[in-house]
Amino acid sequence: MTLIMVVDDDQDLAEMLGIVLTGAGFEVDLVNRGDEVMDLFRAQIPDLVLLDVMLPGINGNEVARLIREESMVPIVMLTAKGDTHDVVLGLEAGADDYMVKPFNPSELVARIKTRLRRVISETAGGLKIGDIAIDQLAHSIMREGKVIPLTRLEFDLLVALAKEPGRVFTREALLNEVWGYRHATDTRLVNVHVQRLRSKVETDPENPELIVTVRGVGYKAGVPGSKEQ
Amino acid sequence: MTAEKRRWRNSLVWRVTGNSVLLSLGIIWLVGSALLSQISTGIFNEKLNNSISDSETSARSIEVQIAVAQFQNDAAVKKSVDQMISIASLNGATAGREIALLHFPVVKPVTNNLERTSNLLSPASVPDSLRTLVRTKTGSHWEKTKIRYLGGKVEDGIAVGSRIEIPRAGTYELYFLYQLNSQANTVNLIRTSLWFTGLALLILIGLVTWLVIRQVVIPIREAAEIAEQLSAGDLGRRMEVHGENEIARLGSSFNEMALSMQQQISRLENLSRLQQRFVSDVSHELRTPLTTIRMASEVINASRGSFNSKVARSAELLIAQIDRFERLLADLLEVSRFDAEAAVMVTEPVDIIQLLKRTVDYLHPSRDKIIHIYSPLEPVIIDADSRRIERIFRNLITNALDHCDGKPIDITIVESEDAVAIGVRDYGIGFQEKDSARLFDRFWRADPARARVRGGTGLGLSIALEDAKLHHGTLEAWGRLRRGAHFVLTIPKSAGVEMASHPIPVLPPSELSPILIEAEDEEL
Repeated sequence: MTLIMVVDDDQDLAEMLGIVLTGAGFEVDLVNRGDEVMDLFRAQIPDLVLLDVMLPGINGNEVARLIREESMVPIVMLTAKGDTHDVVLGLEAGADDYMVKPFNPSELVARIKTRLRRVISETAGGLKIGDIAIDQLAHSIMREGKVIPLTRLEFDLLVALAKEPGRVFTREALLNEVWGYRHATDTRLVNVHVQRLRSKVETDPENPELIVTVRGVGYKAGVPGSKEQ
Repeated sequence: MTAEKRRWRNSLVWRVTGNSVLLSLGIIWLVGSALLSQISTGIFNEKLNNSISDSETSARSIEVQIAVAQFQNDAAVKKSVDQMISIASLNGATAGREIALLHFPVVKPVTNNLERTSNLLSPASVPDSLRTLVRTKTGSHWEKTKIRYLGGKVEDGIAVGSRIEIPRAGTYELYFLYQLNSQANTVNLIRTSLWFTGLALLILIGLVTWLVIRQVVIPIREAAEIAEQLSAGDLGRRMEVHGENEIARLGSSFNEMALSMQQQISRLENLSRLQQRFVSDVSHELRTPLTTIRMASEVINASRGSFNSKVARSAELLIAQIDRFERLLADLLEVSRFDAEAAVMVTEPVDIIQLLKRTVDYLHPSRDKIIHIYSPLEPVIIDADSRRIERIFRNLITNALDHCDGKPIDITIVESEDAVAIGVRDYGIGFQEKDSARLFDRFWRADPARARVRGGTGLGLSIALEDAKLHHGTLEAWGRLRRGAHFVLTIPKSAGVEMASHPIPVLPPSELSPILIEAEDEEL
């Protein structure tokens, strides 16, 4: 059974989330305080964390950072504020996705499912981007035999780009493919995660060679060394 | 030149100093000229008196010598006259006196010409008018003249003349000519020193005026600068107050004014900040329960099939109203963000055509396409906040769809050097011309009776306008009742740069001729 940890200080909302998520076939672990999260998290590691930003004890962004220090488990933030500043703070703390209250429950379930899915393509194992080998079965990437730890979302983002090396992905296409959004133009989500991914896989994140920006359009998988010639 | 003019006009110090220097120049000129003319007249008169008395003394002494002398023959006369003239001319050499003995040209023929001049003096130095006077009237006469020498030298001078009787030779005219060199030199010296004194005085007056005016003007200028800073928003600025004079009073009352202004403004700011905080907090606080309500309603709605028809309909209405409430809340929060000036722009390169097409596809995916897009083939990439631009598009297109009456909607994109314009034209119910100003007001509706037929919150256009302003762009509206509306969004290509051009005029071209035709119809 898939375990989802719901962290929200509002008892009623937490209970309602529990009803909706159990209805969708998940097992739910409810937490009301930010400072209680880590103990419960270590006791039973969930498959996904649903995290409110404003929490008693420690705030949600801080909790996300603590979780990221020891786990790559998907984190979806629940925020009452849709301001760029608040959203980017959460994403930079390590959240994979966020939902602005009030959200549509079916959309929440869809997002959770996207975050939990395991895409295993037929050509499993054979992908490469630059000098990085992608093992889709093991869900890991390696450079010169060393494993680079990625969150599942970062992995999905890299795989999406690596699968079609020539294609330029618009941010909307990536939102659709990686986050499971339809009709969304929230480019902040893509931008922040591309930054994070670059900081992990690029040799020089200031001059990215693997994930290249195409001005005004989006991103594509780059061929290292080709730009200089 | 213009900079000089501006400086003149802008600076009280320079103007007052300049004016006082000009005025002083006039006064000094007048006084100096009067002084100089008086002095030179005095000097000349003194010289004249001296010359006349000297000439009379000398003439008498020559007459006496002649009377005393016993002349045997013409040669003796000539010799003795020569001697007398040369002695007299030697005596007068240091004083610049010349002597001319000229023949009286009447009566007896000249047997023995005794005409003499000293020091190569030309006889022409004696003016004819003076000679006539001497010939016709006895006694001594004077006149101003130019003293000419045979070598060509010319000097200013005075000629004094009288008649003299010489035995055996007849009547002669005896002239004494006095040079005015030293007098002219004195006058020149005085003139030069007057010039220098005047100039020095002028500079001093200028300097003093400048210093005095500066003392007055500097505090005024300081007050002006501080007033400018105050109006620019730096409310903490104050003037420095020294002493108890008028300037100090200006300073202290200025500071009092600034203080009361600052207090007033900060009070108002506090009030509006509190109010905005309140709106924002309320919106946020509402969101959590709304999320619960929303999820509960969805759960209820999901099992609608097992309810009776009334309960099922209620569940539907509940969902629809929660949707509307949610949109209203989101818009309200956005408005409060604009009011608090907390709206942040996140700009990045965006292809405006792609963005528009995506928005249209999302809002109006139906088969019978009534929205037509006229755009350049090439992508139009601008620096903008894509989330906000998309929201403007969504608001304009939703608005057009709400009011188009099923008629087509034309969307045009035109770009220029520095700006891109998007026009959304519908041919539906439109609005009255007088309403175009109020169109962007919050919660304003053209026809209250017809309000709320569609899902709009009443904040859409107002938010769109704020979003456009944030981009330093414009959002204009044109409309006529039953002839439709035209909304034109113009935004600069580079974020925040002022644009010079508006590629799409808000008055639609199709409206130019129909108005004329209609006007003619009315006349008939």
